[in-house]
This record gives sequence, structure tokens and C-alpha cells, in this order.
Amino acid sequence: MITGQSMKAGGCATRLLERLGFSEVVTLGLGIVLVLLPLLPGEYVVVVGAEIIILGLFAMSFNLLYGYMGEISFGHAAFYGLGAYTTALLMRYFQSDGGEVGYFQFIFAVLMAVPVTALGSLIVGYFCIRLTGIYFAMLSLAFGELLFYIVFSWYSFTKGDDGIQGLLPPPRFQNITYYYYFSLAVVAVAMAVLWRITNSPFGYTLRMLRENKNRAAFLGINVRTCMLVNFVIAGAFAGLAGALWGPFQRSVSPVLLGSMNSGTAVFMTLIGGARYFCGPILGSIIYTALNGYITLYTVYWPLTIGLIILLVVLFLPGGVLSVVDKWLRTARTRRLSGQDISLRGDHPSGGRA
Amino acid sequence: MTFDVGSILLQLFSGLSRGMMLFLLSSGLSLIFGVMNILNFAHATLWLFGGYLTYSFMQAFVKTLGNQALAILPAIVLATGVMFLLGVVLERFIVRRMYPRELPEQLLLTFALILIFGDLIKLIWGVENRRIFLPIEPMEIMGSFINPYFFIIIGSGAGVALGLWWFLHRTRYGKIVRAAVFSRDMVSALGIRIPFIYAGVYGLGIAIAAFSAGVFLPIMPIGLGVDMDLIIQCFAVVVIGGFGSILGTFVASLIVGIVYSFSILIWPDGALAIIFLILVGVLIWRPWGLFGTEMRF
Repeated sequence: MITGQSMKAGGCATRLLERLGFSEVVTLGLGIVLVLLPLLPGEYVVVVGAEIIILGLFAMSFNLLYGYMGEISFGHAAFYGLGAYTTALLMRYFQSDGGEVGYFQFIFAVLMAVPVTALGSLIVGYFCIRLTGIYFAMLSLAFGELLFYIVFSWYSFTKGDDGIQGLLPPPRFQNITYYYYFSLAVVAVAMAVLWRITNSPFGYTLRMLRENKNRAAFLGINVRTCMLVNFVIAGAFAGLAGALWGPFQRSVSPVLLGSMNSGTAVFMTLIGGARYFCGPILGSIIYTALNGYITLYTVYWPLTIGLIILLVVLFLPGGVLSVVDKWLRTARTRRLSGQDISLRGDHPSGGRA
Repeated sequence: MTFDVGSILLQLFSGLSRGMMLFLLSSGLSLIFGVMNILNFAHATLWLFGGYLTYSFMQAFVKTLGNQALAILPAIVLATGVMFLLGVVLERFIVRRMYPRELPEQLLLTFALILIFGDLIKLIWGVENRRIFLPIEPMEIMGSFINPYFFIIIGSGAGVALGLWWFLHRTRYGKIVRAAVFSRDMVSALGIRIPFIYAGVYGLGIAIAAFSAGVFLPIMPIGLGVDMDLIIQCFAVVVIGGFGSILGTFVASLIVGIVYSFSILIWPDGALAIIFLILVGVLIWRPWGLFGTEMRF
């Protein structure tokens, strides 16, 4: 493998790529970018960065269902919103004697979103996983809208359309940079867990479910149980993301559960690349950047993102990372031409991605 | 909340007319799915777009013709025609590319269309609700005042339904469409241009939806977000009735329409929730609906 060409600067990167694999390198790269982000000038960058991270976790949880299991859910934001409301209500309760939330109370409020959302997704998932394809999409959309509707209408509990206001994180986390690193830490841990899950036998079972459920059943896999477990995990992580969102924005509203927000996760995953571990995170960066930039000029954001999605679906269905992957692959092939090439893993439809 | 005969009759007619409107909307969806195997998520949004278009044409015609009641007819006809063309154009340039693709991407595309057309509505017509006022006196039947326009809706709905049936079963073109549902390859092997058929069917589906929006406009104000309410009801109809079956769609839309109407009587806030629960129930216990072909998952 050591040719004259690898002595160039590019050779180092190539060897790193080959040693670690495409997904790992992308993850590492994005991780470095996100850690260093607050060094950029201005507070707004950090605000956008926090949005990217939290929504990125939300999109990653969605991708468990879509990229790994092959089912598209248009109601995933319901769990995100459920987590946000759980944390919001708990914080409200802790704040009820006036003043601020203590650190333990805050962490507790955030963490409690996980079991609550897991329970919610267990109930919803019980019904959804009995179906696939179109019916899964329709049912998930319907459940999402139902949960939105419940939160919207149940004024006495959730304050309906008014939302819950005045959520203050503990004093130190009110500084956006601290909150940014707090979120980054939480999301990093979550991603580590997701990495373990997707690269475990369970993760590979999911991929098989995506490809051919019948065959999986013939191999003795309990398809329904696997799908349900995955649904619950996806819901729980979405809830964790939502839990981080509430204190960040200082308020929650029923919109968080709606179909537009569900669409956000879908779009991020699509833009970044559904078949790659870090696709949703990259998608989150691109989407949030687009959102932040374009909404300065126009209020017609859904129109813009709709058109972008249209173009992406038509011409770039694998997302940005698929283009990068293909380009790197061609570059590597050219560099190593003449030798027997056995590229390790990283094939979108099977291997490590 | 009275339970006398009059109010029940009122709700019945209201439900029937709503059912008719739903039938027209859902039959387009069912037709498109049956022929091209694409679930057109954006169907209700295009319905809404057609409704707004009818409203605008109505305004224009009222200015020129002066008479409110007369102006609605050409407005509906014109809007339906325009939406047919829009449907054909959409199919030709966008939807067509999705046939060889996998399901999630198809759904994503139609979802993107929801966003695009939803915002286009906002861009062109703004955020206010729109409705049409027709100078029609309510009739008194059995102690309750019923808007005779309900009969017009029910009549035109039934008329279009019959027309659709006649088209599909008694004309050459309709039989070609049904054959294309059955076997696309054989139809094209016979020398019939499948792309034209697909474009025509998509346009037809959208046109029928737009027609139902226009006809329903005097009864129900339209606004942003109505499409999301409606698409759920539409799903309920095609699921309960069974995909691809016009008869199933007809029966199911009457059921959904009447249930919705009576739910408003009993529990106004939860009418949509009741429809939703029926949808969930059917999806769980009999996903292929009343008249659909049985499928295994």
C-alpha cells in the first residue's frame, strides 16, 4: 500500500480513512467541528450550534427507524414533543415555589423525559409495528397528529396553544455556551450508545429487517419484537432531544409535536444521507444553517425547504454523504489503481455505515 | 345539544354532504394509488389549492357577472379545468420520476409537495380563511332549518360518482385505465401510451378533488391547515373502504362523513379524534378495509 503517492499530504488522510472507515472519519470530523464551534465570533453561532446538536439527536433517533429499519415515520416529532413537555412540566413543578431550578432537579427533569417517552413510544409502537410501508407511514402520521391534538386541546394540563413559558435552566446553564457544551455532552453520550446499538447484532438485524422481513422471520427472528424495541429506542432518544430543547428555548408549544417538525427530522436525514451513521447530524447542520439563513430573507420557509427536498429526492436521494462517499471511493480507486483493491466495509447498503 | 328529529336530520344531511365531498376527494387518491401505486400525501393540499382557486375565480366572476349564485358555476368549472392541467403538469415533470423509486422516497416527495403547495397558498392568498356566501334561504324541514345547498352537494357528488363509474366501466378510456391498474405492461404492449394514461389519471384525480373543494366552499370556510385535517379523514376513508375500490371509498366516506357530523353533535372537540380512532382500529384489525383485497404483513 505504500506507494510514492501516499507520501503526499493526501496520503495521510487516505490511510486514516482506510484504517478507520468512512463513517468513523466523518463522525470524528463533525465532532471536532462541533467542539470548536463556540470559538467562532458571536453568540448567535453558539445558539445555532445548540439547535444543530439537539435537532441532530432528534434526526439520529428518526434514522433508527428509517435508515436502519427501512420504515418512514411521519409522527416521530410526537415523541420529541412528549419529551419536551415532560421536562417542561417537571421544571414548572420545581419552579412552582418561585425562582430557579436546582442542578439535580434540572438533570432529573431532563432524564425523566426518557422513560416517559419510552412508555409513549411503547404504546404507539405496539400498533404501528404491526404494519409496514404505506400503512406504517399513515398510522405514524395519524398518531403524531393525534398526540399533537391532545396536547393542543388539553388546556388544563398543557396550557394548549399558549405553551409552557418561562423555563429557565439553572444559573450556570443560562449562559448559552455552557448550555451548548452540556447539550453536546449529552448528545455525545447518546451517540455513543447509538453507535453501540447500530453496530451490534441487533443493529444488523435491523438492517436485515429493512431488506427483507420475510427472510428475517424465516431465520427465526421475531420481527415484531425487534421492530418494537427499535421503535421504543428511537422514541426514547427523540424524547431526550426534546427534553434538551425546552430549557434551551425557554418555552415549549404543541407545534413541537406536529407533522412539520416530524418532517424536519425526515428532511435532515434525507439531506445528510440516511444510510450513514452521521448522515442526520450533517443534515442537521445543513438544514439549520439553511433555516437560519433563509428565514432572514423570507417568511416562506416551508416553500423553500419543500423545493429543496424535491430537488434532493429527485437528484440526490442518498444525501450529501453519499456523494462524498462516492467521490472518495473514486479518488481511492484511482490512487490505488493497478493493485488488488479490497476496501474495508463502508458499503452503504450493507457494511458498517 | 338537542336530539329532536330536526337536528338529527340536519346532522344527517350535513354528514351526507360531507361524506360526498370526502368521497370525491378520496376517490382521486384511491384512483391514483390504484393506477400508479403512489400514495399522494399532497392530495388534500391540492384540494385546498383548488378551493382557493375557485374562490378567486368566483370573486372575478362576481365582478363581471354581478350575480352571486350564477357566478359559482363557471368558477367551479374553470378551477376544475385548471387543476386538471396542473395535475398533468405535476405528473409529467415530478411524480413520473418517482415510479421506479422506493416507497419512502415517494412519500417524501409528496410530503414535500404538501409544504410547497401549502406555502404557495399562503403566498398567493394570505392567511385569512375564505368562504363563499350564497344567497340561499334555509328551508324548514321538520322543525329545523336546513340549507338546501346540502342537496346540491349531495346531488353533484352523486352525479360525479356516477360519472366516474360510467367513465371507468362504460367508456373505452375508462376500461384502459382499469386495465392499466391490472397490468401496466400488457396495456403498453398493446400499443397504448401508458405515460399519457398516468398523466390523465393523476390530472383527473386532482380535478375531482378540486371540484369537491369548490362545491363545498359555500358550506365550509377554508383556511391554512384544513388540508392536514382532511388528509387524515381521507386516509381513514381509503383505509376503511380499501385501497383501489371505488365502492369501498363511497361507503367509507359516507360512514366517516356521518360519524364526523354526529360526533360534532355529541363531542365537538373530539370529532377528529373519533375518526382517528376508527382509522387506527381498522389499520390494526383489518388493514385492507371493507372492500380491499386481503393482504398479509
